[in-house]
Amino acid sequence: MTDRNLIVGPFNRVEGDLEIRLDVRDGAVAAAYTNSPLFRGFEMMLLGKDPRDALTITPRICGICSISQSAAAAFALADASGAVMPPQGMLIAAILHAVENLADHVTHFNLFYMPDFARPVYSAEPWHDQAVARFTAMEGSAARDAVTARAELLHIVGLLGGKWPHTLAIQPAGVTKTPTASDKVRIQTALRSFRRHLETTLYGAPVETFAALSSKDDLLNWTAGDAGLFIRIAQAVGLDDMGFGPGRFMSFGAYPLPARRAFESGVWGGTLSPVDTTQITEDLSHAWMLGDTAHPRDGTTEPDEDMRDAAYSWCKAPRLSGQTVETGALARQIIDANPLARDLAGHPSAFARVAGRLIEIARTQMLLEDLAAQIDPKDRFMGHWDMPASGIGEGLVEAARGALGHWMNFDGGKITGYQIIAPTTWNFSPRDEQGNAGPVEAALVGAPVRDGEETPIAVQHIVRSFDPCMVCTVH
Amino acid sequence: MSQIETFYEVMRKQGITRRSFMKYCSLTASALGLGPSFVPQIAHAMETKPRTPVIWVNGLECTCCSESFIRGAHPLAKDVVLSMISLDYSETLMAAAGHHAEAALEETIEKYKGNYILAVEGNPPLNEDGMFCIVGGKPFVEQLKHAAQHAKAVISWGACASYGCVQAAKPNPTQATPVHKVITDKPIIKVPGCPPIAEVMTGVITYMLTFDRLPELDRQGRPAMFYGQRIHDKCYRRPHFDAGQFVEHWDDDNARKGFCLYKMGCKGPTTYNACSTVRWNEGVSFPIQSGHGCIGCSEDGFWDQGSFYNRVTDLTQFGIEANADKIGMTAAGVVGAGVAAHAAVSALKAAQRKTQDKKEEA
Repeated sequence: MTDRNLIVGPFNRVEGDLEIRLDVRDGAVAAAYTNSPLFRGFEMMLLGKDPRDALTITPRICGICSISQSAAAAFALADASGAVMPPQGMLIAAILHAVENLADHVTHFNLFYMPDFARPVYSAEPWHDQAVARFTAMEGSAARDAVTARAELLHIVGLLGGKWPHTLAIQPAGVTKTPTASDKVRIQTALRSFRRHLETTLYGAPVETFAALSSKDDLLNWTAGDAGLFIRIAQAVGLDDMGFGPGRFMSFGAYPLPARRAFESGVWGGTLSPVDTTQITEDLSHAWMLGDTAHPRDGTTEPDEDMRDAAYSWCKAPRLSGQTVETGALARQIIDANPLARDLAGHPSAFARVAGRLIEIARTQMLLEDLAAQIDPKDRFMGHWDMPASGIGEGLVEAARGALGHWMNFDGGKITGYQIIAPTTWNFSPRDEQGNAGPVEAALVGAPVRDGEETPIAVQHIVRSFDPCMVCTVH
Repeated sequence: MSQIETFYEVMRKQGITRRSFMKYCSLTASALGLGPSFVPQIAHAMETKPRTPVIWVNGLECTCCSESFIRGAHPLAKDVVLSMISLDYSETLMAAAGHHAEAALEETIEKYKGNYILAVEGNPPLNEDGMFCIVGGKPFVEQLKHAAQHAKAVISWGACASYGCVQAAKPNPTQATPVHKVITDKPIIKVPGCPPIAEVMTGVITYMLTFDRLPELDRQGRPAMFYGQRIHDKCYRRPHFDAGQFVEHWDDDNARKGFCLYKMGCKGPTTYNACSTVRWNEGVSFPIQSGHGCIGCSEDGFWDQGSFYNRVTDLTQFGIEANADKIGMTAAGVVGAGVAAHAAVSALKAAQRKTQDKKEEA
């Protein structure tokens, strides 16, 4: 067994570009360094523009979670201008956003995560034939089912937002669309059809039955549908024994509704506490960025064109009270007090992360049906708002991959500061000044590397369990 | 290259029925503006001609073009394109990773030398020797040039590859540069939009396959069949424009009634695209139908034209029948010589803005 260094990348079936450097000792990863090799400088381009243009420009950071970016920009503008959405506007914004997140989770499971189990490295396993038939990249039957179902689900975004990706309808004081009674029926029809897809393929059982699972033991005994196949494979390959997150979870809370956010916000580390966003900082010690550690309200984006040796990524290192946190579907469900997610929280493995998404898919389907039933075409969907000449705003949402924040300052009708921290920035951050590794870097330590493996399969399972969206990470 | 299977064989392998195949042919014929008599011709071409290999590479971008395809497209349209790219090289979707992915690219280039279409999503940033976008340890611009060298033609998917898009917005920190400024010796078809409509993307590929030639392009290099008309000309809210009925605030009654969005900054009057006819997400809707103006994402420079919510200016000088080329000609006449053809429409916009500013000062 030789010691060696590996560079893994380009990573396929992740959104965007990712490269990981691994130090391998005694057949396992001893240290990992994540690099986001793509930099575009959105925060620099926003300077000097009309603050409202953030609604159009920031979604274009990412073609996967563009509604999340647009909602965060709208909330930041609302915070700065005092705009308030009428209840029905909040409802439509929540539906738009939840549909995108739901579509993302289903994509991740079928197109990005499961295909790894169809690889030749597992050809001796008894479940391999089933995995190949269902999940071979691009050709498996699951991909066809999922892509077709997802296109139909996204009709809802078409109906309410005019187009997907890069939907424009969410504004600080509501949504531009006034849905009709027939739109409401079409939305409900699309949701029924998506439910049928989930119940026949993913769960092999009613969505409610899966959502009602309350312990890890119950989950491990689930055998129906593709979820059952995943659980069988996960136990066989030891997904629950690899890829441990820091055990600290953060969620900004998803889908603001008149009474509360549909999934609550908070920080979990064994107990629940509120998120104090004033304690967020971005550390630049290992990023090719110039400047000091700062709260995003005061942060700047100035690329280090010399690409100094001490740094290794374009990604800044966000920390909450100086610590790393993990963000994503598992975090959201733990913080929203889902009993199964809470049972998984103490052992935050690659398996727990994928399971968190399976829980959330079921709960989001149910949430969407509930929200759609409340649409009242006769009500108002947009309130009145005026843009002040200057202001500061914070927009916090939950994208599929976790907590997304926008911090903006503007003066004289022009943006003077704009900082974005995306979920993958949290999860895939490089080291900070104290040398603390980012969540994924830490999760990779100990991952087994087989002899001769150039892109270790365990590393891929761990990395993809976080569902990285690298285009958002460094924007 | 007779050993390459036909398109139809690929589709059959993927479990697509004959019936669905014929349906795809008729959908495509109508999308391309061809009559039913062309359906057998398209079907024949797909049954007999070897499929066109496609190498799909990603530069500086947001993956929205791929996503428009796989999430928004009619399942059949999606199958067509996925069945082509699946066999070759696409970074977002293929199974291989790391060095295997790089090897797959090399192999594909070698195998189909001179015969493949290079589809580019995103663009190369040239600042710092291209270090802002690294693929497999090398700047993307190198991969792009390498892959283009043996391509039959290049398709620039979306506003990023065609024009630069928002990542080229001032101050363009990475010097994001459109494909045609880097690849100068190959036919380039621009399919702009952020992203382009899925049906437009498949329509362009199917046309090239069926007729074995590039589609007719306008002066900016866009397929005329999809970019020949303004959003404004086919907009279902157009009667409100003509009647002078406008939305003045997002929350007014006119917004609820679906009046024209021109005063809310709609760029439909200066934008050439198929949104108001083909529509989005399998023909469900398009931005104006959701109550938000068009932002002009299929036009060069749309990201740096002042606020998206500022109205475009006086438009009466050209009529419904004009197309981008005619306007380009007019604009060249107005602002004098030296206007590059590809900048014609934005030049017109600039000229209009000047006129408007003067009016507002007066």
